Amino acid sequence: MHIPGYFEFCCRVKTLAGHNALESIPEALAQLQAKTPLILTDKGVAGAGLIDIVINAIKDKMTIGSIEDDIPPDSDLRVVNHLAGVYREKNCDAIIAVGGGSVMDTAKGVNIVVSENADDLIKFCGAGAIKRPLNPMIAIPTTSGTGSEVTLVAVIADHEKNRKMLFTSYFLLPDVAVLDSRMTLTLPPFLTSSTGMDAMTHAIEAYTCLAKNPLSDTHALAGIELLSQNLLNVVQNPDDQEGRLALAKGANLAGIAFSNSMVGMVHTLGHSIGSVCHVPHGTCMSILLPYGLEYNLHKNSEFVAEVLYPLAGPEIFAKTPKNQRAEKVIEYVRKMNQDLYDATGGRHSRCFKEVLNRDGKQMVTKEDLPKISKTALGDGSIFYNPEELDYDDCMMVLNAAWEGTPLNRNKIKKG
Amino acid sequence: MGEYKDITPGKKRIKRLYTAIMLWFVGRSIQAAAKIDDDVKKEFEELPDQFLFSLGVTPDGPRMLVGKDVNGRVKYLGSNPKGRKINVDMTIKNLEAAILLFTFQESTAISSCHDRLTVDGDIPSACSVVRILDMVEVYLLPKIVAKLAVKRYPQWSTERKLMGRTKIYLRAILGF
Ligand SMILES: [Fe+2]
Repeated sequence: MHIPGYFEFCCRVKTLAGHNALESIPEALAQLQAKTPLILTDKGVAGAGLIDIVINAIKDKMTIGSIEDDIPPDSDLRVVNHLAGVYREKNCDAIIAVGGGSVMDTAKGVNIVVSENADDLIKFCGAGAIKRPLNPMIAIPTTSGTGSEVTLVAVIADHEKNRKMLFTSYFLLPDVAVLDSRMTLTLPPFLTSSTGMDAMTHAIEAYTCLAKNPLSDTHALAGIELLSQNLLNVVQNPDDQEGRLALAKGANLAGIAFSNSMVGMVHTLGHSIGSVCHVPHGTCMSILLPYGLEYNLHKNSEFVAEVLYPLAGPEIFAKTPKNQRAEKVIEYVRKMNQDLYDATGGRHSRCFKEVLNRDGKQMVTKEDLPKISKTALGDGSIFYNPEELDYDDCMMVLNAAWEGTPLNRNKIKKG
Repeated sequence: MGEYKDITPGKKRIKRLYTAIMLWFVGRSIQAAAKIDDDVKKEFEELPDQFLFSLGVTPDGPRMLVGKDVNGRVKYLGSNPKGRKINVDMTIKNLEAAILLFTFQESTAISSCHDRLTVDGDIPSACSVVRILDMVEVYLLPKIVAKLAVKRYPQWSTERKLMGRTKIYLRAILGF
């Protein structure tokens, strides 16, 4: 086991997990001395009937300040300020965020504004600018992917000034995360598959990149096992409640791991493709994960090899000779992508040229790759990648990931 | 009488002095590298006007500031951050961690990964700063040491490395 000379680990989010976990929310809020929550969500979540489930679970025991479902897919400063106004007007004293990454980000933004009584969010931008606990917040994820119910970051876009504000603080960790199988039960198979691979990427990168430590490692390994054992099965049997809950727990464990140990180049490149071409995050992760592993293999094969046990199970692990385990992990991840592709009727992409938008148009063209590479050089996750990554390196990896061909290992610069 | 440990304030003072000298030298070397190396120059050109970054030890340990002046020239700006607007602030948590970093037992990247170094400010600019620091380290240090300090030792021509190293040492010592 790798033990760094010094490390920090913190996860103080209380977790409520189960098929009826939502029913425990009133009690959890009471412990936080709150009684009037503001419920934040987006139209998709509300339209799928998930808010009705939440409300039915809690309405007898508390008054709900307001339900706001106007959160855009990309968190926005104006929306944050508007919702903060609603919070104050309705005398709310807590926030319940129901949704994916952007709902969580927005909710955290609102919480900064109302707790700090801020008029300008920019004052709290950056690392550690929030210095005291915020008002109570409960996070209910509706995908098993982002892990943002246990992360200490929020990204809010200021579209007027065309900039993104990044907030990091332990006080941004929600007080409570609720994992309830009903919240992910209706997630369509192709979204289940890509968000599941996002979670898998969190766990694998946390375990194999530079900021790993023994505490996040144990979370990562447990996450990999739960995700691997259940992902394909749930995509094939979406109504499997036990499987759904297992995925939610897996994504949660992966979230705890990566919020402490960070992620590497799969996210570096994935964030950039997301911002340049608007490809959904989970799709980028599914495609890039095997490439990130291949690229770094000469630096971290020892750690990658250890991933085989939770990923493929004891039998395959035992059958694979020690010096082939790392390669087997890459092969296994590629096979998972292929199986998910087959199980979703081709909607789970294996390479970027396959990614199409609603009109059937290619979302990433070869002409986009230089801009993506340039953007990647400014992404913070690049720090945590085991091997150096320059412009040419990004181009090489992106070209291969676009075509769907394995990396030419001879071309990887090894210093 | 049992054994007791000598309290040696001198040791800490030496560490502090060493760190301060290294910061001073690295700061002046960055200024020099920005003049003679195209890649360092290019990184600085991409940074915003009057960009300023700081690297130092908290609390109130030695510190260095490097920034672009109104004409876009890269300058070592001493050690006092008071009253200046810093775009990227890199803070080493304590002197011990600074010693690890400046005896090149640990790379900048590894330091930040091990929670010994915190980076605050604009992230894309911070990425540029780390790349600049890496290049300057390759210039200043012999390969055997630099190999530990950076993730991947670059494949520069011998000419670039040796000529550059001479020029940077000269400029850093003489201060131009
Ligand atoms: Fe992710």
